[in-house]
Amino acid sequence: MPLVITPAIVLASLRYSETSKIVRLATREHGVQSAIAKGALRPKSRFGAALQLLSDGVAHVVVKEHRELQLLTAFDVTRVRIGLAERLDRYAAASSLAEVMLRFAPPDPHPDSFDLLRHALDRLEAAPERDVEATALRLLWALVSSLGFSPSLEACVRDGTPLDPAGQLAFSARDGGALCGTCARGHATTILPVDARRDLTALLDPDAELPPLDERHAAAHRRLLSRFIRFHLGEGAALPALEFWEVQPWRAA
Amino acid sequence: MGAIEELVTELARLPGIGRKTAQRLTYHLLQQPAGQTSRLARALDAVAERVGPCESCGNLTEEQPCAICRDPRRDAALMCVVEDASAVAVVDRATEFRGRYHVLGGRLSPLDGIGPEALRIEALVRRVREDGVREVILATNPSMEGEVTATYIQQLLSAMAVRVTRLARGLPMGGDLEYVDGVTLAHALVARQELR
Repeated sequence: MPLVITPAIVLASLRYSETSKIVRLATREHGVQSAIAKGALRPKSRFGAALQLLSDGVAHVVVKEHRELQLLTAFDVTRVRIGLAERLDRYAAASSLAEVMLRFAPPDPHPDSFDLLRHALDRLEAAPERDVEATALRLLWALVSSLGFSPSLEACVRDGTPLDPAGQLAFSARDGGALCGTCARGHATTILPVDARRDLTALLDPDAELPPLDERHAAAHRRLLSRFIRFHLGEGAALPALEFWEVQPWRAA
Repeated sequence: MGAIEELVTELARLPGIGRKTAQRLTYHLLQQPAGQTSRLARALDAVAERVGPCESCGNLTEEQPCAICRDPRRDAALMCVVEDASAVAVVDRATEFRGRYHVLGGRLSPLDGIGPEALRIEALVRRVREDGVREVILATNPSMEGEVTATYIQQLLSAMAVRVTRLARGLPMGGDLEYVDGVTLAHALVARQELR
């Protein structure tokens, strides 16, 4: 039974029996793993407060091949992102990032996605209040792209026809990006007006300035991204955190 | 499914009870005098029939409103907000707190699809507005979800003339610094208090 020591992020945790927890960890070297932390709920547990959601640390896991539930023997926490809990919009976006990683990261090592998730959670925690929406959209698009589903806006995703860089855009979540006029005929597409296209282009470019999004435009971008994720990654699975972030029920409360 | 198997299955649904323990409990019950198992069955029935949430605070009770809400000696202007009814008994037994409670019925959890509408947050705001509450003590669990629930409620109440406080985080009494985890120690350091 090899002991693996690897950087990890706590994506989810649930109570198991009176004193233990089962955690889902994104690990840098072993993909997403489920592990049991025995005694984690005891008052004098060696895990202490380390297994908080979205915390960073170094996990010590006894990994048995072909076993679904591994054994977590220690978790040396390096960062608890308590700042994410200071606003519900921040926390909802962070939960969506965790859910995408949890559901769609392949079980094998995916260090790029792990590094991106860690960076994304840091950015989200530090983002000024006015930038939380746009930052969350950019980071979720980046994570989806790192998992191999980057949308294309420059050329038609069906026949490769270069698209006019200035006009509005017919975006097809099903096809994975923009369609030319010919291919868009008879297909369900979302028409992105010039400003929405410009904003999406900026959101997909990590080096571009964040676009200022008012409430209506931010909601439209959330819907578009959510539809894209559901189509390419969801396979009909329930994605409660993504839905929570998309609908933002706290705004109506 | 036979009667034994059915009881084992039902007992195994309880928290902290696996199938083996459920089997042991079942065979233990079968060895008891008939009257004892009947009393247990009647007690379970009575709990299911008579106990429900207090219409005011959400605590579990047999009468409406619950004994805490009915008690005139309690300070109605002081309200302690907890996630679950089980926390009411814990706080009430272990502390000198003699105000009233408000049970949320859970905590915000996007990953489980639990939003504000699933909790008794609207009822909390209504009680604060209508019952002349002076201070709301947020006693949600010291987890990320407990924290986000507390900050969300604090933001909702910020426009109202009410003091909002949060339970302190820090070192456990009787503990030893050497064995305290880094996260708790860091919080304790941030929330240090001046000795007067």
